[in-house]
Amino acid sequence: MTRELLPVADGRRIRAVVGELAGRSKGRAAAAFTMLVAATAIGLLTAPLLGRVVDLVATRRPAAELLTPVVALVLVAVGQAIATAIGVSLVARLGETILAELRERFVERALGLPLDQLERAGSGDLTARVTNDVSVVAEGVRQALPELGRSVLTVVLTLGALAVLDWRFLLAALVAVPIQLWTVRWYVPRAKPLYASQREAVGAQQQQLLDTIGGAKTVRAFRLADAHLERVRQRSGTAVDLALRGIRLVTRFYARLNLAEFVGLSAVLAVGFLLVGADAVTVGVATAAALYFHSLFGPITTALALVDDAQAAAASLARLIGVADLPAEASPSRPARPVDASVKTAAAGYSYVDGHPVLRDVDLDVSPGERVALVGASGAGKTTLAKLIAGIHQPSSGSVTLGGVALEELGPEATRRTVALISQEVHVFAGPLAEDLRLARPSASDADLRAALAKVGALSWVDSLPSGLDTVVGEGGHQLTVTQAQQLALVRLVLADPPIAILDEATAEAGSAGSRVLESAAAAALEGRTALVVAHRLTQAAASDRIVVLDAGAVVESGTHDDLVATGGQYAKLWAAWSGQRA
Amino acid sequence: MSTTGREVLRRSITGQRRSVALASLLTACHQGGEALVPVVIGVVIDQAVAGGSVGTLLFWLAVLAVLFAALSTSYRLGARFGERAAERAAHDLRLDVGRRVLHPGGGAEAGNLAGELVSIGTSDAKRVGQVNGVLPFGVAGLAGLLVSAVVLLTMSLPLGLLVLLGTPPMLYLAHLIGKPLERRSEAEQERSAFASGIATDLVAGLRVLKGVGAERAAVDRYRRTSQDSLRATLRAARAQAWHNGALLALTGIFIAVVALVGGNLAAAGDISVGDLVAAVGLAQYLITPFSIFSWVNGELAQGRASAGRIADVLNAPSAVDAGEATIPAPAAGHVRLSALSRGALRDVDFEARPGELLGVVATDPAAATDLLDCLGRAADPATGSVSVDAVDLSTVDPSRVREVVLVAAHDADLFAGTVAENFGTGPLTEEAMTAAAVDEVAGALPDGVATEVTERGRSLSGGQRQRVALARALAVDAPVLVLHDPTTAVDTVTEARIAAGLAELRRGRTTILVTTSPALLAATDRVVLLDDGRIAGEGSHADLAGRADYRAAVLS
Repeated sequence: MTRELLPVADGRRIRAVVGELAGRSKGRAAAAFTMLVAATAIGLLTAPLLGRVVDLVATRRPAAELLTPVVALVLVAVGQAIATAIGVSLVARLGETILAELRERFVERALGLPLDQLERAGSGDLTARVTNDVSVVAEGVRQALPELGRSVLTVVLTLGALAVLDWRFLLAALVAVPIQLWTVRWYVPRAKPLYASQREAVGAQQQQLLDTIGGAKTVRAFRLADAHLERVRQRSGTAVDLALRGIRLVTRFYARLNLAEFVGLSAVLAVGFLLVGADAVTVGVATAAALYFHSLFGPITTALALVDDAQAAAASLARLIGVADLPAEASPSRPARPVDASVKTAAAGYSYVDGHPVLRDVDLDVSPGERVALVGASGAGKTTLAKLIAGIHQPSSGSVTLGGVALEELGPEATRRTVALISQEVHVFAGPLAEDLRLARPSASDADLRAALAKVGALSWVDSLPSGLDTVVGEGGHQLTVTQAQQLALVRLVLADPPIAILDEATAEAGSAGSRVLESAAAAALEGRTALVVAHRLTQAAASDRIVVLDAGAVVESGTHDDLVATGGQYAKLWAAWSGQRA
Repeated sequence: MSTTGREVLRRSITGQRRSVALASLLTACHQGGEALVPVVIGVVIDQAVAGGSVGTLLFWLAVLAVLFAALSTSYRLGARFGERAAERAAHDLRLDVGRRVLHPGGGAEAGNLAGELVSIGTSDAKRVGQVNGVLPFGVAGLAGLLVSAVVLLTMSLPLGLLVLLGTPPMLYLAHLIGKPLERRSEAEQERSAFASGIATDLVAGLRVLKGVGAERAAVDRYRRTSQDSLRATLRAARAQAWHNGALLALTGIFIAVVALVGGNLAAAGDISVGDLVAAVGLAQYLITPFSIFSWVNGELAQGRASAGRIADVLNAPSAVDAGEATIPAPAAGHVRLSALSRGALRDVDFEARPGELLGVVATDPAAATDLLDCLGRAADPATGSVSVDAVDLSTVDPSRVREVVLVAAHDADLFAGTVAENFGTGPLTEEAMTAAAVDEVAGALPDGVATEVTERGRSLSGGQRQRVALARALAVDAPVLVLHDPTTAVDTVTEARIAAGLAELRRGRTTILVTTSPALLAATDRVVLLDDGRIAGEGSHADLAGRADYRAAVLS
């Protein structure tokens, strides 16, 4: 299968979406900007006020006159503090609201993706976007964006203030700019690939430890400890080397910025010297100019160091918007209604790669309420057949109808209400157990949940959990066994209550003891439904109404257990070995 | 030989003492240099701008240049030494943790989830190492403080005392104002992190959601979580903003006070105008060392906590002790359990004769696990013994036991690498591949056995993973092979094929097959039935198939 990664938005689309979201709160955006400008502007009064103190002293005025600028300094401090607090709160409100809307849109579209599109993209693509990209953008909104904004604002307004003192101070300060621009142009192209490989190396180191520590039992059993420690040493060593290369690069970046600071500061001092000498400004003004420039060191360094954070956030944003912009699945305007719970495939065929069919001419007729077991080797096409009937793949040839209605007339939403597919993939959703189950039926009462749990024999262990139905399970919560997790999948099936159900090796991963628990749970969950069961254990097949044996994508045997055993075909041979009869 | 967290931390620092010392010295020079910048600005204004000559100006600018060169260079080298000390210490700790976990005696995993151990080997090791990178900054902050103090006090005793004694209470006040806010904001931040966790979780379970048509419900649930989280984040952001505002106001007021006192002293002629400028500059600068101290303090606390967790792993008692005895080579593979009790096993006696393919059916899964642990000496019996070729395993070094007895657990993990690398460790690679039906797996993979699998083999399906793990166990050609439920995720048709291949490949070698799969049991020479941890029967699969308890365990 060729990978078709999910789309990534271009720069224009990013601007359009962010603009649209920001446009909803124009007033708030304007207020935030005004407050931050006010805060910065008030803060800039500090230096001239200090300069005023210096002037008063230098001109030997009475000490009492100092009180006025000092009181002004206090007012400035309080005013700047209040304006900053309000401005920063407003910016956070704006950024966080946009972020929330964006992540909600993203999740909505991601969960709405057709499964076959997801399979073509590989689930890793979507997982990476929801884990890394969402947090990179959030980080950007929370830290980089406000800091960058405030720094840029401070720099711009401070330069303006320098110009107000005397335009020649501004010229002197600008002497540093070419050095700073050159530094950034030198740094960014080196930093980007280095950080990318650093992240990769740290990820690889983490994976290696997961591999080695997670598999410690196996490592010991096969006496692979030395080889594994060597792998850990190598992965960790690579990460260390890259971290050290990173710090070398960063310190060289700062050294260049130090040079810019020195050149600019010297220029401002020299201009002050000339202007004071020419009586164009007072010593106090020259002092203020020097202090202004000194106070720029921090914000300039911050702003320049954030350039690559901002770039990373933009790249992540592009991947989020790419998914958030996907069109919703098309549904027929007037979906047809299935008349009963029957399943029919007529000459159904499917190939993942053209010319390599994995299913050929499958005719299958399942009456309402019938339970059919699918038996066959891996690669025989059992799972593919299950996916065709569940509407995940469209047949390459032939047709699939549920309750007399072709899948395309039913549309995706009605299909999922009609047929459920429970695969061997287990997932317990993080949070209280009751919330996990209510995903299948949001309106279910606690009594409904308990009834469904009792039906599949899971109520006793759920009741013995620390907080029963409210126990937090899944990632970071109470860990359930594979058998319990798979039982929950069957409980969700009971709650969703579709007329047709497909179990694709839903009992396979639990080990042999768990399998039996699950088989009886599955039998209970399937009661009253038309069922297709990809059977792992022949006992499960033997208990079905009908057994269909698949081989190389085609139906080779079909009938009841007794019929097939009597015919003496492939199924009969398997059964003989199982039941201990000499075949 | 127990190690405390304090000792872990101490060793991690002393192990890198040269780098830490150099980094401290250099970073101190940098901080001192930064503190001198406003002082030199004051001198330039005093000596040159306020009526000095061009020569004076140039002289002091040259001094400024030397100062910048010195502070820049010392930062550059200091930061590098600090980072090196941090990274290397973390690297060493990571290997220590790995070595302890993989020690043949085992025991480090007891009570720890794999994920926790991994985070101890990554995050905690990093945090302890980070102390090496942080300490130099603490030393430097101290140096910056000292330089400022000397300058201020020589300039003017009252002004110097005001600045030096005024800064800590001011910062403490800011801390007091911020404390409740910070505590609240931490709690809120945790809640906001929850939203992204939920999104990841829903995407991870996407197929399961689609399977029962629960996407709509999941989206609704996510929107609620996201909005909750938004409200929490906004509260946290507001608290943070006001905290920062308070700090800003306090600093500004403090500087105003310094300007007032300094201005009065200058007006009285006690200090020069340049001294005044420098004092105001230093009052601004002094915030830095004090905030460095509180940061270093926080990092040290985290480092100590992490070092404690690392010490717990390093100190974990072994599951089994070393042993002196050895099993003579070549091992015949005669396994005997005598009156063995442990966990769910009660008084179990049976033997696997050299070359026999023995099936063991345990009705209680816990009994099967305990049996496996005793056979591979992951644990020793409470009473009774396991022997191989008449040597009691509890007297043999665990590493030697595993050379003779290979236990392939049901949930055995694969490792990152190619499929071939995973089972290519033993002499019987080709034969094992056929016997475990890995050739079929290879046929379905894009690059056959050269296909890369992700960590713990997660990129393969359960059935594929099991077959590769089985091939790996068979390829080793161990004198005694113990397999636990090797085919639960394999379809019945392939399982029958594997049963035949397995029996053929292990001919002449002792194999114990702990399983309830009829297809596998049908291929064994003899089957032992363990019910409720005790021996309940023995015979061939076909013979036992007539017994009700056996049918209940295997064929129901």
